[in-house]
Amino acid sequence: MLSYVVRRLLYSVVVLVAASFLVFTFVSASGDPLAQLNIVPNLSEQSRQNIIDRKHLDDRIPVRYGYWVKDAVTNQFGTTLLGDRPILPDLWRVMKNTLQLVLIAEILAIAVAVGIGVYSARRQYSAFDYTATTLSFVGLATPVFWLALMLQVLIVQIYEQTGYRIFPIASLNSVDPGSGFDFVLDRAHHLVLPVIVLMVASVASYSRYVRASMLEVMGSDYLRTARAKGLSERRVTIKHAFRNALIPLVTLVALSFGNLLAGAIVTETVFSLDGMGLYFVNALLANDPYPVMAWLMVTATMIIVFNLIADIAYGLLDPRVRYE
Amino acid sequence: MRRRFSTLSIISAAIIASLVLGPAAPAGPEGTSAGTVIFIHEQEPPSLRGGWVDNNLLATGLVTNNIWYGGQIYNKAAVFEPRLFEGKPKLIKTNPQTVTFRYKASAVWSDGKPVTCEDWKATWRVFVNPQFNVVTRAGYEDIKSVTCKGKAGTIVFTTPFAAWESLVSGGVYAAHIVRGKDMNQMFNNSIPVSSGPWKFQSWQKGVTLTLVKNPRFKAGPPMKLDRVVFRYILDTNARFQALRAGEGHIMEPQPQLQIADFIGDKDFKVQTAPEYAFEHVDIQLGPRGHPALKRPYVRQALMQGINRQQIARALFRPIAPGLPTLENLVFKPFEKALYQKHFNRWRFNPTRVVSTLRGNGCTGGPNAPSTSNSDIFSCPGVGKLSFRFFTTAGNQLRLLAFELMERDLKSVGIELIPRFQSAGTLFGSTLPSSDWDLMMFTYGGGPDSKITSGSLYSCRGDQNYGNYCSPKATAAFNAAARELDPRKRNALLNQGDAQLAVDLPSIPLYVRPKLVVSTPKLSGPLLNPTSEGTPWNVATWQLK
Repeated sequence: MLSYVVRRLLYSVVVLVAASFLVFTFVSASGDPLAQLNIVPNLSEQSRQNIIDRKHLDDRIPVRYGYWVKDAVTNQFGTTLLGDRPILPDLWRVMKNTLQLVLIAEILAIAVAVGIGVYSARRQYSAFDYTATTLSFVGLATPVFWLALMLQVLIVQIYEQTGYRIFPIASLNSVDPGSGFDFVLDRAHHLVLPVIVLMVASVASYSRYVRASMLEVMGSDYLRTARAKGLSERRVTIKHAFRNALIPLVTLVALSFGNLLAGAIVTETVFSLDGMGLYFVNALLANDPYPVMAWLMVTATMIIVFNLIADIAYGLLDPRVRYE
Repeated sequence: MRRRFSTLSIISAAIIASLVLGPAAPAGPEGTSAGTVIFIHEQEPPSLRGGWVDNNLLATGLVTNNIWYGGQIYNKAAVFEPRLFEGKPKLIKTNPQTVTFRYKASAVWSDGKPVTCEDWKATWRVFVNPQFNVVTRAGYEDIKSVTCKGKAGTIVFTTPFAAWESLVSGGVYAAHIVRGKDMNQMFNNSIPVSSGPWKFQSWQKGVTLTLVKNPRFKAGPPMKLDRVVFRYILDTNARFQALRAGEGHIMEPQPQLQIADFIGDKDFKVQTAPEYAFEHVDIQLGPRGHPALKRPYVRQALMQGINRQQIARALFRPIAPGLPTLENLVFKPFEKALYQKHFNRWRFNPTRVVSTLRGNGCTGGPNAPSTSNSDIFSCPGVGKLSFRFFTTAGNQLRLLAFELMERDLKSVGIELIPRFQSAGTLFGSTLPSSDWDLMMFTYGGGPDSKITSGSLYSCRGDQNYGNYCSPKATAAFNAAARELDPRKRNALLNQGDAQLAVDLPSIPLYVRPKLVVSTPKLSGPLLNPTSEGTPWNVATWQLK
């Protein structure tokens, strides 16, 4: 097991280095990072030269990549291209915001999906099962941006009709969020709509997996044995079927969680949430390779780590899996 | 098991109820105090260090213009009015150019120190320091000396600088704050002092920036409000929905079609007026452009073949009805005493275009303008009139403008080949390379931008990417940049523009409309066409 983990981590380092070089090359080659300065009237050439010198923009891309690696390792990802602004504090801030959003959405999505999946499996071909199946396909087919916009429109309509703003439609906090519990409540209030939007697709997908997995397990021999021994149906379902049915879900959640931490780009954009996704979009629009690279390193690391966790968890949950 | 389920249900219901009923406010932006105005804005400043290469943004100016208060300000008529200066600064000598100014005795920083000429001098030193990445040193680098006597100052220039009044009147840093500091790292997250009606209070990055009334501000009318909070909502739709949902009082949006929904709605007030930024199509006259464009009759055909009036109407009628076409590349329609309609001579006339082209020996095009035409003219020695048309991708207004132009010109036998690029590629590589035929984009600017028109239209001008070169226009624009008498300067600029209207290096389309949308509860905001930003008169703002 240990050698497997070490081997995977070593592969990951190679992947990270290769990915970072490719992304740096593509972002740097995609255009002049000082492009926006070309239409600034009376631009100070001295200022432009200062930036070129500081960021070695006159050097070839591999050389600039080398400087970036040095900055990333010794100077916490360095600074932004034009403003010389430290990258790590901003990245850390948006990571925390994204983590809040994604954690809440995933925990709730798993809870709801497991409930729906298990109940659907136990009541296969019932009205509930058909309804859940239909709704999950609708959930999977609903574009995230559309759902988010519709929720915003709905809230505005309710506000205009009644004068009550049920949920805020953008941002992470009110102007006066208070402190302590008030702040937490205010943040939770602002996250309701984004969490719903993120949850819909996750619930739809996870509930299908849970249902399928439960159905597979419930038809297995050892459950028949358990029933033959006289165990109650609830005990058979919860203690024997449910635990085994969860194995594929654990893998799925671990894999998708890593991706989600990269930033729920669409959700964060539509609700103007100061998270990883919006950070990445803004950095890309600014044609600034340095925050893009920092974002990439963090998200790639997360995805690698969560993939590894998924593999390890799978092995721990299913003794038949061997790490060769 | 059942009891556990009931407990969980009650807890869940309580959480949901607290989320819905707790913070949900019955009207009024987010339960704030009566003296708080929430300004919804589309962009968050990267720092509070305005005028730097990474941060020459309106978003920053909106916050800092009432902190680093100027000696004078452009009002809603784009005319200077005093702020911290006792009166207008004076040009006391033209050779060498010498200017004097004096701050009001009541002008003090929020920490109690007086605003003096030393602050101006410190600001000058910041802007001429080669280590600091300011966006422009224009004017500052032409100063020979600044002599201070308390509140009064005398500035002597080495070379004449026509835009001296703007330069002298700008906001200044506090000398006691910036002296000896690395300005490239200053004001990243806050500003410790203010000379204006509001001062910095807090900044929750990615969410809000809060400014509060400066109690020490006595140099003008004090703010009636307690606070102004900038709320940053980057998504266009969310911004408009937030205003509708009562999550803010005012916004200064880009010209977008969503604004049409607010016009005529009694719950909102929409102000609109043309601003200084203008849209135009530049014509490439250099060696990498289409050879036909060097022929005046082809440029005239382009000018007369595009229905500019219809474009302005189609793009902006719902949100800025009556927006005029631009008939002068230097002055804007609202600068009434100076605006001369030089380009008006090239009215939309498709029949004339066809006859002009045929009269110059062009063949293969239609005999008369026709919307179904697909024949393209070829002209002697320059080939087919088929031009690469560049503009930014993803901009709906520009796409619509292109489609209208393409249709107009196709009907008279001229073809436009679309080349839409990201702003980075367009302005970073394509524009300076001069490897394009026609390019549509916006020039920003303010009341003083006209003074440096030479950089755009004189031979070898810094930003003359279209390679236009006319000795007459160059002489006029260069003389204007050195002329200190505004009357003579404006005459020279109009002289230069008249030559542009003859040579047609660029097709002016329209000035962009500026818009302010606010709730009727908020009185006071007045649209300002300059880059001062809507809070330029924040002292008069009041919540009903």
